Amino acid sequence: MNRTPRTLVVVGHGMTGHRLVEHLRAHDRHGTWRVVILAEEPRPAYNRVALSSYLEGRSAADLTLAGPGFLTDPLVELRTAAPVTGIDRRARTVTTADGTLTRYDALVLATGSRPFVPPVPGHGLPGCFVYRTFDDLDALREAAREGGPGVVVGGGLLGLEAANALRLLGVRPHVVELAPRLMPVQLDDGGARVLTRLVTGLGLRVHCGTAVREVHATADGRAGRVTLTDGTALDTRLVVFSAGVRPRDELAGPAALATGERGGYLVDELCRTADPRVWAVGECAAVRGRTYGLVAPGYRMAELVADQLLGRPATPFTDPDTATKLKLLGVDVASFGDAHAETDGALEYVLRDDTAGTYAKLVLDPEGRVLRGGVLAGDASAYRTLRALTGRELTAPPDRLLSAPGPGGPPRRTRAADAA
Amino acid sequence: MPDSHPLVVVGHGPAAHRLVERLSRLGHPGPVTVLGAEPRPAYHRVLLTSLLDRTLTARDLELPAPPDGVRVRPGVTATAVDPARRLVRTGTGRTLRYDRLVLATGARPRIPRLPGLLTADGRLTEGATTLRTPDDAQRLADGPVVVLGGGVLGTETALALLRAGRDVTLVHPGPHPLHDRLDATAGALLAGHLRSAGARLRLGRAAVEYRPGKLVLDDGEILRADALALCTGAVPETALARRAGLAVRTGVVVDRHLRTSDPHIHAIGDCAEFDGEVPGLVTTAWEQAETLARILTGHDTHHRAGRPVLRLKAPGFDLACLGPPGPPPAARHLILSDPARGRYAAVALSGERVAGAVLVGLPRATAALAQLYARDLPVPADRFGLLLGTAAGERPAHVELPDTAVLCHCNHVTKAGLLRAWHDGARDLAAIAAATRATTGCGGCADDVRLVLASATGGNSDP
Repeated sequence: MNRTPRTLVVVGHGMTGHRLVEHLRAHDRHGTWRVVILAEEPRPAYNRVALSSYLEGRSAADLTLAGPGFLTDPLVELRTAAPVTGIDRRARTVTTADGTLTRYDALVLATGSRPFVPPVPGHGLPGCFVYRTFDDLDALREAAREGGPGVVVGGGLLGLEAANALRLLGVRPHVVELAPRLMPVQLDDGGARVLTRLVTGLGLRVHCGTAVREVHATADGRAGRVTLTDGTALDTRLVVFSAGVRPRDELAGPAALATGERGGYLVDELCRTADPRVWAVGECAAVRGRTYGLVAPGYRMAELVADQLLGRPATPFTDPDTATKLKLLGVDVASFGDAHAETDGALEYVLRDDTAGTYAKLVLDPEGRVLRGGVLAGDASAYRTLRALTGRELTAPPDRLLSAPGPGGPPRRTRAADAA
Repeated sequence: MPDSHPLVVVGHGPAAHRLVERLSRLGHPGPVTVLGAEPRPAYHRVLLTSLLDRTLTARDLELPAPPDGVRVRPGVTATAVDPARRLVRTGTGRTLRYDRLVLATGARPRIPRLPGLLTADGRLTEGATTLRTPDDAQRLADGPVVVLGGGVLGTETALALLRAGRDVTLVHPGPHPLHDRLDATAGALLAGHLRSAGARLRLGRAAVEYRPGKLVLDDGEILRADALALCTGAVPETALARRAGLAVRTGVVVDRHLRTSDPHIHAIGDCAEFDGEVPGLVTTAWEQAETLARILTGHDTHHRAGRPVLRLKAPGFDLACLGPPGPPPAARHLILSDPARGRYAAVALSGERVAGAVLVGLPRATAALAQLYARDLPVPADRFGLLLGTAAGERPAHVELPDTAVLCHCNHVTKAGLLRAWHDGARDLAAIAAATRATTGCGGCADDVRLVLASATGGNSDP
C-alpha cells in the first residue's frame, strides 16, 4: 500500500450504517479508506426488521449483521457503546460521550430514528415501553410475565409487529390506531379490512379512528389503565408506543447542519449535506426534505454514498421504491406503487374473496393497460410479478396476473339450477 | 250457466296483459275474461315517467289490444271471490263462474304517515299526488316540485321532471338515493348525476308535515312544494285475496306453480309473494305471466325465484342492479372503480357465476353481465376486460347467447327474432324497432340489441 488510507467515520451502526461499510469494504480493493464506526448500542448492528423473532427464540447472535470477517477486518474499527455527542466540522472531528475525539476525512451520519411517543399524560410511567432495540424487548419480556391485556399505540407496521410480540409473550394486545384503518400508509380500506378481520381472529382487539388520551397510574405508581379519546377504557399494566418514528438529528444543532422541515439531516439526492465531507443516510436523512422509514431506501442511500466515496458511479436517490411486502401475524400484506390511486385518472380493479380472506387491488392507467400500483392482503403471492410490472404495460389480463392459487383452494361450483 | 272451464283474470296491468297474450300464443282453448279496474286499456307502467318529461303521451303507453277471444272488461272491479263455489262478484253486480282464477291485482302506492297529507275525508291534500297511473302523472301540479322518496320511482321521476325543466328537490331518508340497492360509491355517482342534472338533494331527511305549497323536513327546513310527488313505495293489493280467505303475508302467497292456498286460484305480478319475496319488478311479473301461461296450457314447468335485473330509466346515465336487494350470498367480489369517468362496477360471484352486481356508467358490461346472470352462465376468465368493455383492451367482451335468449323482455323478442330482422335488412336500431318492436318498451335492452346487431354485422355498426 503506497498511501495512508483516509478515515471515514460512520456515526451509528444500524442496518444502514452497516450496509454502507460492507459495500465500501467490498469494493475498496486498494484499501483507500479506514473506517471507524461509532455505535450507541452496546452491540454491533443487527437485523432490526426481524427483531420480533428474538421473542420467538432466536438469539441476539442469530440476528447480528456483523460476521467474523467484518469484526476482524483490520480496516474497520467498531466502537460500541460510544454515542457521539458533538461534531467539529472545522477541525473535522467527532466527540464521543467519553470525551474521545476522532478525526475524519469523511463523515457519514447514520443515526437512524427513535420511536415517537405521543406526549399524553402518563406516557412515562413504569409499564410504558417502546419497541426498537434488544433492550426494549428484554424489558418488555420482563414486564409481560404477569400476562393479561396490553395496549399497543399505533396500528402501522411497527405497531402490528409489537402486537405480535405481545402475543408471543402471552399478552392479549389491544391496538389503538388514530387513522380509520390499520397500516394506513400502505393499505387501502379493503386491504385493511381483510387484515383487521384476520388479526382479530388471532385475538387482537383493534381500535381504529381513536387515540390514547391518558395512561393512568395505579396506587403503586405503574401504568394501570389507558383511556382513549372515544371514551373506551382499557385495563392494562403494559403499554407499547409504536406510533411512528422521528429521525435522530440532534447533532445538527451543534454541528450547524441544516435539517428538513419534519426533521432529519437535510441532504440532496446524492445524500450530501452542505458540507462536502459530511453525508447522511437511512432514517436520519431527509433526502430533499423527505425521510424514509423503510430499510430498502436506506440500503440504496448507503450504497450510493459508499460508491461516491470510492469514486464509483452512483445512482442518485430519486423515485424511491416504497413497495412493501410482509407477513404480519401470519397474514401476508403488500403494497406497491400508487397504492392509493392518487395519480391522474387512475382506475382501480379489486378482487376480494371473503371466504379465503384475500384482497387484491390493482391501480391502472385510464385505459387499464399500464400497472401503476396496488395492494394485496391475505395472499401476496402475486407481489413479485406485479411489483416488477409496476409502471409497465400489463403482460396479461389482470385476472390472470392475480390468479395465483390462494389459500382458499379451487372455487366452489354452484349447484345447477333446476331445469324448467 | 256460464261458459265451461272459463279463466278469469282479475287486474289488467302488465302481468295480466302478458298472460293473456302468451295464453293465446300457446293455444289456450277456453274463454278468458279480464276484469280491469282502470277505465282504460292495459298500459306500460314502466314508461310512466315518459309522460313527465313529455317524450310520450298517455296513448303511447297503451299495450297492444288483447288477442281475439279475450274479453276485457275495463272499469269493472272484482269485489269478492267465493272459492268454494268458484265465483267472482263484480262491482257491476254480476257473478262470473271460473275454473281457474288469476289474481293480477298489482300494488297500490304506499301513502306515508305525514301530518297534513290527507284531508278529513281521507283524500290527498291539494298538490300531493302518487305516481302510478297516467292520471296521476297528469295531476302533478306546476311549479317547484318535491319528490318524496329516492327509490327507483322517485329517482326516475326526479330526473324526468328535470328533463322537463322543472325545479326539483328530492327528499330521501337514506344516505343516498336507492340506498337499499347501491353501496356508497355507486350511491355517490347517482347523487352526483342528480345534482348535475339540477336536483337539490335532501338526504338523510324525512318529511314531518305537508301544507299545500310547503313541505317541512325533520331538520326544520321548509321546502317550497307546489307539487308533491309521493314515491314512497308500493303495497301489494291483497284485499280481495284476504277476504276470500287465501293465505296472505306481504303479498298473496304462491307456490312454484304460482298457485295460492286455493288450487284453483293463481296470483302473479306485484300482488304475489313467492319464496318470501315481492320483487315489484315488471320483469318478474312478465316471467311469472309467461310461466303461468305455460302451466295453464298443460306444460310441466314451474316458477323459479327470479333473477331480477333493475335498470334505472335515466337517459345518459347507465345504472343497473342485478339480483335482489341486500348483500348477495356470495363471497367473491370484483370491483372496478373509475372515479374520473364516473364508472363503477361491483360484481358478486358465486363460484364462477354472477350472484349480484351494481354497475354505473358501463353499458357494455351491463349488457354482458345481465345476460350471464339471466342465464346463470359462468363469467369468462378476463373479468377486467368484461367490466371495462374490452378484453385486454382489444377484443370486445362478447357473450355468445343461444338464439332462444330473450333480449327485449317488454316485447318478448329473442335473439333469433333480431337476427331474422337483420337478415331481412334491418341494420340499425330504428329498423330493428320497426321490424320487431324490440327496444320500444322500457328501452333497457338497447345495448343488448346493439351487441347482437354488431356481431351480426361483424363489429362495424357497434358504436
